[in-house]
Amino acid sequence: MDLNDAVIDHLRQVAALPDLTGTRYELESEIGRGGMGVVYAARDRQLDRRVALKVLDSALAGEAQLIAHLEHPAIVPIYETGVLPDGRAFYAMKLVAGARLDQHLAGAPSLGERLRVLRRVGEALAFAHARGVIHRDIKPQNVMVGEFGEVYLMDWGVEAVAGTPAFRAPDDRLSQLSDVYGLGALLRFMLPASAPPALRAIADKAMRADPAVRYPDAPRLLADIERFQEGLAVEAWSEPLWHRLRRFASRNAVLLWLLAAYAGVKFLLFFLRNL
Amino acid sequence: MNKILAGLLFGLILGAIDGATAWFYPETHSMIGGILVGSSIKGMLVGLLSGWFAHKVQSTKWGIALGATLGLLFAFLVALMQHEHYLAIMMPGFVTGAIIGFLTQRTGAPSLAAKREA
Amino acid sequence: MGGPRGQFPSTQLSLLEAASSGDTLPNEALERVSALYWKPVYRFIRVKFRKSNEDAKDLTQTFFAAALQRDLFARFDPAKASFRTYLRMAVERFAANQHAARNRQKRGGNLEFEPVEEWAATAESPEQAFEREWQRQLFALALGDLRAHCEGSGKQLQFEIFEAYDLSSGDRPSYAALAARHGVAETSVTNYLAWARRMLRELVTERLRGVTAGERDLRDEIRRLWT
Repeated sequence: MDLNDAVIDHLRQVAALPDLTGTRYELESEIGRGGMGVVYAARDRQLDRRVALKVLDSALAGEAQLIAHLEHPAIVPIYETGVLPDGRAFYAMKLVAGARLDQHLAGAPSLGERLRVLRRVGEALAFAHARGVIHRDIKPQNVMVGEFGEVYLMDWGVEAVAGTPAFRAPDDRLSQLSDVYGLGALLRFMLPASAPPALRAIADKAMRADPAVRYPDAPRLLADIERFQEGLAVEAWSEPLWHRLRRFASRNAVLLWLLAAYAGVKFLLFFLRNL
Repeated sequence: MNKILAGLLFGLILGAIDGATAWFYPETHSMIGGILVGSSIKGMLVGLLSGWFAHKVQSTKWGIALGATLGLLFAFLVALMQHEHYLAIMMPGFVTGAIIGFLTQRTGAPSLAAKREA
Repeated sequence: MGGPRGQFPSTQLSLLEAASSGDTLPNEALERVSALYWKPVYRFIRVKFRKSNEDAKDLTQTFFAAALQRDLFARFDPAKASFRTYLRMAVERFAANQHAARNRQKRGGNLEFEPVEEWAATAESPEQAFEREWQRQLFALALGDLRAHCEGSGKQLQFEIFEAYDLSSGDRPSYAALAARHGVAETSVTNYLAWARRMLRELVTERLRGVTAGERDLRDEIRRLWT
């Protein structure tokens, strides 16, 4: 038998499909590969719904234990954990129908929408951090935007192995501040070229090499973004005077226009009288 | 402070300022006192009604509209009493009323119902 | 492979287990190693040392005949590398020695023109060629086991369908076409394929077990293979 490379690759893929006999699941297809295992789409025969099955290639405790007790709209709910007939551990979780962040961005969403997605990710992080859980591997491939606009942060607790170094904090020990770095990197990734300098400054502040000078936690970063959205001054950026005036003017636009109208009317009357 | 009180205060201050600009017209110098008082009262009335409206309804747009209308109305009445200077009194009065209407919407504490509606 | 035709191949002993009696491997283990590694070693020698077909064959044969019999396995330390890597490095040492010895003989004599084969000049490194060929051989052996198992247990139909779909190098037929061709339901096609793939996976694992040092080496190789 002379097997060419294509056939070998195909065999490698299909023969690796997990055996689900004895479980309530029916395998459909491979969705992707995460840090600790492969994710498949499967069908739960008992509840007649599609789920995502993550099959772990090592016996170490996976993210399931880590996040199963975290209930948050941006954290994928875990349905079940178990062991496959071939000995591999797996867990079943919600199958997110939607797009990965990089795909979502290809649709050129508005700045407001981008910030909304980032806020959801940040809220999930804040929630998890408050319960002692660190994500460790924040990057666009781990963020999904569902069909209803819901946002999920996925693949928790896996230390960033290979992959884009741009999103990995240069910290010796990973901590919540490393996640802050990742959040900043995500923000920077999501900002369009025309993004205002205030937002860029926020991303930069979160991505400082020294963890001590970053935002101390995710809520502070989100608060700064909120300040930006309300037209207030941002902690990360010391704005030049003319920018500050412009901001003041836009926040108080109505009043300034009314005052200008008053002055205009007065001047007009004055000059008309002298004609 | 509630909006009605705020309206009275804004009306008083802005009305007085509006009245004081009459000083640019030298012929009014003799009557400047009366003008000031009248303008202040005019402003306070606009402010009172705008404040009452803002207390009930939270809407910057309609607050400005009502203030402007009231300002115009009272300015018209004042101009009527003078039989002259209609434009010079009514136009600034219109804009002053608008400013008072805007400020009453934006400051002070509205009623619970208005907050719910907003 | 162990067991009469049709029976599921008996569980292989790992190399460590096979060599438990001493530092040398029993013949059976050696046969398993050379069955899998002959072609990969040959390919590696050809690509790395730019040898002709004949020279490479000679060297490979010599390697397996001589080097494997000696204390090759004794020097293997499972903690440092996989058996596959260790073997490859042994080949490198062996071929380099041979090359040096031959050059010492040739010094002062006429230079030998070594033809550079077309495929040897590809972008693939010798290490990649070795690994690729190793995977190919591993699957080839496991597929042979699968075929034998199917023929022995009356599952020829399953193998035919599997061969038509998973082993086709061009366009794959649809499940419906396969079902029509063999007179079965489409769901049967799905089931047969799932069974054959599961079987193949187990057979590959068994073959791997016979050429890896122990549990950890086996697990590492499994993980590397399927990603």
